[in-house]
Amino acid sequence: MKERDRDIARVALELALKSGCSGSRITMSVNTQSSFSVRNDKLDRLMQANSSSLFIQLFADGRYGSFSTNRTEKNELKQFISKAVDITRLISPDQNRVLPEKRYYFNGDERDLGQYDNSIESIDPSDKTLIAHKCAAEIFNTDKKIIAVNCEYGDSDEYLYIIDSQGFEGTNKQTNFSLSAECSVKGSGDSRPEGWWYESSLFFDKLIKDGVGHKAFKRAASRLNPKKLRSGLYIMVLENTVSSRVVAPIISALNGAALQQNNSFLRGKLGERLFSPKFQLFDTPHLYGANGSRYFDGEGIATKPMNVIENGVVKSYYINTYFSRKLDMPVTIEGPSVPSCKYSDSVNSVKATTSLDDILKKCNTGIFVTGFNGGNSNSSTGDFSFGVQGFYFENGVIVHPIKEMNITGNIITLWNNIIDTGTDPRESSRWLIPTLAFESVNFSGI
Amino acid sequence: MTQTQTLMALFGVTPEDLKKLINIALSKGGSYADLYFEHSLANEISLRDGEVNSAGSHIDYGMGVRVLYGDQTGYAYTEITTMEEMERAAKVASQIASGSAGDSRIANTSTKILYEYTNKNGYYPVLNQWDDVSISFKIPYLKELDATIFEADSRVSKVMGRISDSNTKILFFNSDGVMATDIRPMFSIVATCIMESEGRVENGSTSRSFRAGYEYLTKEMVREISKEVVSKTAFQFEAIQPKGGEMAVVMGAGSSGILLHEAIGHAFEADFNRQNTSIFADKLGKKICSEDISVVDDGTIPFNRGSLNIDDEGVPSQKTYMVKNGILTSYLHDRISASYYKTEPTGNGRRESFRYMPLPRMRATYMENGSQSEQDIISSVKRGIFADNFSNGQVQIGAGDFTFFVKSGYMIENGKLTQPVKDINIIGNGPEALADIVAVADNFRIDDATWSCGKEQYCAVSCGMPSVLVKKLTVGGVQ
Repeated sequence: MKERDRDIARVALELALKSGCSGSRITMSVNTQSSFSVRNDKLDRLMQANSSSLFIQLFADGRYGSFSTNRTEKNELKQFISKAVDITRLISPDQNRVLPEKRYYFNGDERDLGQYDNSIESIDPSDKTLIAHKCAAEIFNTDKKIIAVNCEYGDSDEYLYIIDSQGFEGTNKQTNFSLSAECSVKGSGDSRPEGWWYESSLFFDKLIKDGVGHKAFKRAASRLNPKKLRSGLYIMVLENTVSSRVVAPIISALNGAALQQNNSFLRGKLGERLFSPKFQLFDTPHLYGANGSRYFDGEGIATKPMNVIENGVVKSYYINTYFSRKLDMPVTIEGPSVPSCKYSDSVNSVKATTSLDDILKKCNTGIFVTGFNGGNSNSSTGDFSFGVQGFYFENGVIVHPIKEMNITGNIITLWNNIIDTGTDPRESSRWLIPTLAFESVNFSGI
Repeated sequence: MTQTQTLMALFGVTPEDLKKLINIALSKGGSYADLYFEHSLANEISLRDGEVNSAGSHIDYGMGVRVLYGDQTGYAYTEITTMEEMERAAKVASQIASGSAGDSRIANTSTKILYEYTNKNGYYPVLNQWDDVSISFKIPYLKELDATIFEADSRVSKVMGRISDSNTKILFFNSDGVMATDIRPMFSIVATCIMESEGRVENGSTSRSFRAGYEYLTKEMVREISKEVVSKTAFQFEAIQPKGGEMAVVMGAGSSGILLHEAIGHAFEADFNRQNTSIFADKLGKKICSEDISVVDDGTIPFNRGSLNIDDEGVPSQKTYMVKNGILTSYLHDRISASYYKTEPTGNGRRESFRYMPLPRMRATYMENGSQSEQDIISSVKRGIFADNFSNGQVQIGAGDFTFFVKSGYMIENGKLTQPVKDINIIGNGPEALADIVAVADNFRIDDATWSCGKEQYCAVSCGMPSVLVKKLTVGGVQ
């Protein structure tokens, strides 16, 4: 982010206050991204772009409005903000719309969270293209089953600058590098099963560049000749690539907006044991190098380590300033930073290393889910139903892929049926959710 | 001043500038290039706890340069439309090719106006532009929505409402000298209702969305939505998650069109087929289902959310038969796939905004009417599910497995609707499900909810369907 971008944010704040606002928060987001896609053995798509957005939150006469523009020339901005203030004044007042209490602001200048790679500007586009080409070359034309290979290298350089009328000022910057591969193989009949693999890192040197294509092909080939199983209760092992899908309904239900609108199955449950006493869900926002680590949220409120579910008891909600006032509850943070979970006797106990193989062996027989296909969950009740893909396993060993099956149940029941977690979250993920195992899960098939 | 002149002034460009940019874009030997300028203004107001207490307004502005080199694509965009920045973007996009300009420069090509928007032509003429409407005029609609829903049922504890509108101005120019303009309105109204009864809480949501001006938002529409959301939410108290497994599924008219969108629509998008990754890749011209079935992707329905006067690569919109009397007659093409298949583009080249390159995308996808009555179809089912309210779906293009989530429906037992059901996912295989449609009713309707498709980027779409009977799908459920 250039000083010019910060100046634009400062000008916007000044214009908002001059237009009669009692308070304002300005967020300037600047992003540079590039991607290079190779299909089979040929460069298919290249894309490079820079973008910026100015988000303007206005507090005027007890009213609130949220605006954005990427037109930042001063006169145009002046007109936009003036009109925005007029719009804000036309709606109903809401006494709960205020800037945060200053005591909650992040005001430290602490250690680096390992979010930014200064080398990003020096990486030559031809090197990026080469990475994508090498990824595709790992598998293209190596097996007659392969129909198509698509590989993409991508990177981004993101800056965020927040400034408000109470004096808060904060900057976040993050780089991200990714390499992905998709492989289609010839299946039975007309089917062309696909497999994918994805690696990402906040640092170019740490991006895993080898083996991504091989993994995509292996996953595609493993999906040949799937079978549909009889409907029934099975043990479900969820791969760490997709396990966050069953954590997301809990995180959503802990959100202040859902709670305040009576649209959460966790409303009024603070302090209650709802889940397995060995289920621990916690947030570690200051984990060095983790994708999602941050010192403050979108309001400038300081993040801190948080036990969300401890021994199955709901310990914390995600409450921002607005919903704190609406619900008469303390401010925590607006949402998760780096959530993680484990199956253990206490949130502080160190779990012995547990791999996917360990879990499959422990579970003996069941369904290993490696992907979701649609589905949804009911925010009021926690009832869910998801399409799944994966494998049937016996004696801890994968037997065959499954097809056209759903899992159905209730999130609270599911998390009471947890029987183990791995210690293997994908380090590149924003949510560090490991392999999960549940018993008595309803699978629908034949 | 013509619309073309107005928009060129808005973006600060002249015809000479456009030609210069195209020539830069083609300077490395690209075979085709286009420029896509966009200015979008979006507004919204929200109701919570009985008050319209949140408002917003958002401007997005910029242009994208696309260069094709055979079927390869170079793309770059900029939010600043100075010649310096646009030339930089054109140079970046040009890098997809690696030679010299050859014969592809267009300095002497004459400009052809393909389509010029006016508020009296096209598929979404507007009487009252959203840009001209103060939020003071919109607020009473949300107030009425709130009051009507609370009045309808004593179990209502919360109501959330939202009206959003946008106006998107498009200027398009390509290396064939084709120039086009469009102004695309869109508005949506969404209502969410929470009810509480005897310690249970249920929610329901409903929406309407159209490419239309302010005149389309009426009190009648608000009352219709209010009634619908109350009915949907109240229904949830009676419904259960049924026993799951394989069974017959009757898809109710309207939003069941999601079956087409997921089960076959994506697999008919020609990018997947030219790459040979779609399960329908070898099926063009072949019989894939009953001759009673015709499936259309249509960008020409007046005021429909998925309609376009021109697509996002300057091709006039059209009604495209994907399946005609059971035969797969056409894929959905953008310029790249049309060139590959040596056919004409079908107007399906779409993008979320100037930040994205266009891809083959659906518009309004529906099945045409059959001849049976819905009642006769239900009566023919011994055991199954009748589903009439859906929220989302997904598909795996190569394997063909698709899903859609049923918010509400009924069990069918011995030809009669019995136990209400809710919150279940249904999964099937596209070609098999299409071939398993054994009855089509005569009650076709388009669903005008806020459907969006998320293939790499979001696009507004819609869907429609008469009621149909699918012989066998896997219904999620408990034991």
